[in-house]
Amino acid sequence: MAPKQDTMFRSADMSMVQLYVAKEIGREVVNALGELGQVQFRDLNSDVTAFQRTFTQEIRRLDNVERQLRYFHSQMEKAGIPLRKIDFDVDTLAAPSASEIDELSDRSQSLEQRVASLNDSYETLKKREVELIEWRCVLREAGQFFDRAHGNVEEIRASMDDDDAPLLQDVEQNTSGQNGQNGDAERSFSVMNIGFVAGVIPRDRVAAFERILWRTLRGNLYMNQSEISEALVDPTNNEPVHKNVFLIFAHGKELIAKIRKISESLGADLYSVDENSDLRRDQIHEVNTRLGDLGSVLRNTKTTLDAELTQIAQSLAAWMVLVKKEKAAYQTLNLFSYDQARKTLIAEAWCPSNSLPAIKSTLHDVNNRAGLSVPSIINEIRTNKTPPTYQKTNRFTEGFQTIINAYGTAKYQEVNPGLPTIVTFPFLFAVMFGDFGHGFLMVVAAAAMIYWEKPLKKVRDELFTMAFYGRYIMLMMGIFSMYTGLIYNDVFSKAFSIFPSAWEWNIPDGWQEGQTVTASLKQGGYRYPFGIDWMWHGTENDLLFSNSYKMKLSILMGWVHMTYSLCLSYINARHFKTPIDIWGNFVPGMIFFQSIFGYLVFTIIFKWCIDWSAPGAGSPPGLLNMLIYMFLSPGTIDEQLYAGQAPIQIFLVLIAIVQVPILLFLKPFYLRWEHNKARGKGYRGIGANSRVSALDGDDEDSNTLDGRASLLSDGEGVAMITQDVGDEEHEEFEFSEVMIHQVIHTIEFCLNCVSHTASYLRLWALSLAHQQLSVVLWTMTIANGLATTGPLGVFMVVVTFYAWFFLTIAVLVVMEGTSAMLHSLRLHWVEAMSKHFLGDGIPFEPFSFKQMLEDDDAAADIS
Amino acid sequence: MATGWSVIIGAIIVVLACLAGWFFAPKGETQTIWRSSLILSFASCYIMWAITFLAQWHPLIEPRRGGLTKHAIHDN
Repeated sequence: MAPKQDTMFRSADMSMVQLYVAKEIGREVVNALGELGQVQFRDLNSDVTAFQRTFTQEIRRLDNVERQLRYFHSQMEKAGIPLRKIDFDVDTLAAPSASEIDELSDRSQSLEQRVASLNDSYETLKKREVELIEWRCVLREAGQFFDRAHGNVEEIRASMDDDDAPLLQDVEQNTSGQNGQNGDAERSFSVMNIGFVAGVIPRDRVAAFERILWRTLRGNLYMNQSEISEALVDPTNNEPVHKNVFLIFAHGKELIAKIRKISESLGADLYSVDENSDLRRDQIHEVNTRLGDLGSVLRNTKTTLDAELTQIAQSLAAWMVLVKKEKAAYQTLNLFSYDQARKTLIAEAWCPSNSLPAIKSTLHDVNNRAGLSVPSIINEIRTNKTPPTYQKTNRFTEGFQTIINAYGTAKYQEVNPGLPTIVTFPFLFAVMFGDFGHGFLMVVAAAAMIYWEKPLKKVRDELFTMAFYGRYIMLMMGIFSMYTGLIYNDVFSKAFSIFPSAWEWNIPDGWQEGQTVTASLKQGGYRYPFGIDWMWHGTENDLLFSNSYKMKLSILMGWVHMTYSLCLSYINARHFKTPIDIWGNFVPGMIFFQSIFGYLVFTIIFKWCIDWSAPGAGSPPGLLNMLIYMFLSPGTIDEQLYAGQAPIQIFLVLIAIVQVPILLFLKPFYLRWEHNKARGKGYRGIGANSRVSALDGDDEDSNTLDGRASLLSDGEGVAMITQDVGDEEHEEFEFSEVMIHQVIHTIEFCLNCVSHTASYLRLWALSLAHQQLSVVLWTMTIANGLATTGPLGVFMVVVTFYAWFFLTIAVLVVMEGTSAMLHSLRLHWVEAMSKHFLGDGIPFEPFSFKQMLEDDDAAADIS
Repeated sequence: MATGWSVIIGAIIVVLACLAGWFFAPKGETQTIWRSSLILSFASCYIMWAITFLAQWHPLIEPRRGGLTKHAIHDN
């Protein structure tokens, strides 16, 4: 049987295949299939934990390589080195060979060591540098202090001799003019047996530090401190820290030791400072030399590291992709069942039937390239498992299909609502968004996105990506909005007057400008041929007319859309060969819906077709009341629409009511009858004995026989393959369940007929709101600008034009467009899809490198 | 021009257009998409137009307007 071409109407035909591959080429086969991206492998080892699978070792090794590559990436980001990105559309990186992967693994191992050691030494050096800088600060600050303090030793001594004197008397008061006494002072510190501690401490700890010192030493200290103006960088975490230099004097060795301990415990760094100013000068000199040396070493290390990273940056993206692919391949191989004895990998997979030839030739190619004597075998098998749903899309249909898939995955081979959605979604949108100008703006935006598709694909802004993804939806929405704009005769709230109007003003005698006039139809039966007559624009009773028109328009549109959707359920029932769904659901449902709302639609059109102004035509009846009284008091007609109306309406009500019990009982009782009949003949529920077997049917070539013979003798292999065939639920027939389900369906359907029809009135509400909003925007902005005359008028026109244009884009196109889109989405998901959509399918998720890279967030950084 | 018959004539034209859409849709993988989209577009556009036309065929109210200038009133 040649499989027919897959269309968007239904999901693609799927086949379950078994693959027998020699272990040596397992990797290559999976890689080739991953490039093809048409095969979804089933897990044959679901009872085996992740650690016990065959290729866990390889995956661990690749995880390590991946970690190393990520480490390089983070180092590059830290150093600000740009990554050479790759374009997945241009560079198709072929799957690597095993030796290439080994090489890559070794290389990244050694590179990691090198980068890490460079980093370590850089950090150590940096730390050393900071220490030296701190020391220099301490030396400088302490030096200044000493220079000041030497002048007033006497004072300090006095304060220490005198118990009443304040301990921390401000030293600076008396410093002026005493600098000449340096010679005496230098000796006097040691004479006084005063020791001191110098160091730096983070500024936020200074307060605590002072308090603790004061308490432990009972005030027996003299502390001086000053702030280091620039922030010092902590090399461990690269954060700037503000620090203070302190210098503490105290009497006696024990106190000094205590101070040292306290300061170290509070995270201060202590530095040795010499009392002697000459030695201090030497120290500063030494520190500066060392800083200079360190600086050059640091620069060297940094350039080496940067050079190393720049080199890695050239090929890091490609490596990342290779490792990701390799890892995915091994993860897939872990799904296979491995026959130890025969060194064969056995896999089961779903694939579209139409892709089978391509898959076969791929396998053949891989086998030939490897030059293996054992062939790979692909074998289609019959199964009673539900195949996954695969809707093939292209650039244009992808967005529309996503709308449907966001609601649910279609059942395998049911009618795909994505196909009509291509038109109905943008069209219902346009009914709400009908304005030629706004539609034109939308088309321009969408066309620009389609024209510059390639460069724009790279933009990673979230909002833009969303709009870009729906560019074809936007294009269709724009085109249909332009059409409905012509129908509504709205362009930025103004009207086109392409054709002559069907109306002419009745000008009474003695008419003056400003007086209200009414119009009447021209003679000859001429009507405005396309859209709404422009004479309605700006009239006093414009809303009266457009309300009635748009309300009826939305009822009619809703009726058409729902009837169309209901018909799809007929096609589904035909395809799944369940005639009871036709007779028990579709037909009574359709009759019920048509006898009420189909009739309403008929009366709307019928009323339009009658010339009520003709003599003897009577007065036009209100259709809403007619519909209500059709149910409340069948048979009584207040205002007649047509002759024989009463019996027809009674008939329609009766026929609608009769459908309710049919909907309720036909399907459950039919199913029960069918079930009992089957049991009466002695059949048991199927599935108990049905199983997928690799052993059925042997019409394949001779190669297959080898693989199969090996399997025959291997009981384990068969068991593995057929293990979860029994999982398929073959639930027992339960009448009560079926009945409850049908009751819910009936109530839902009948109530929904009413509520869904009413729900389409949103088309009226939104299109009216859109039109009124654009009128208001025009009158409030640009109309004012046009009304102003003189030089001010020029200015006003420009200003109001920009205000109008900006608000048109922001409010009328973007905001109103989003709201109309959401309403259209709802009409599809709820009102239309509830009529036919079964939606219990499993999505087809093929093993595909392309898809994998697209979904990977990390891969987004490198492309 | 543009009398009650237009709706019928329009319907005929749209049916012909639909047939053309069915038969002249580009062959290949996208044929179904072309056919469905063309026919649905023709049908929806026709329905919208026909509704608008019918709603104005026998109007129950006529336009009423104040504030017109002499110039505007003789313009049509």
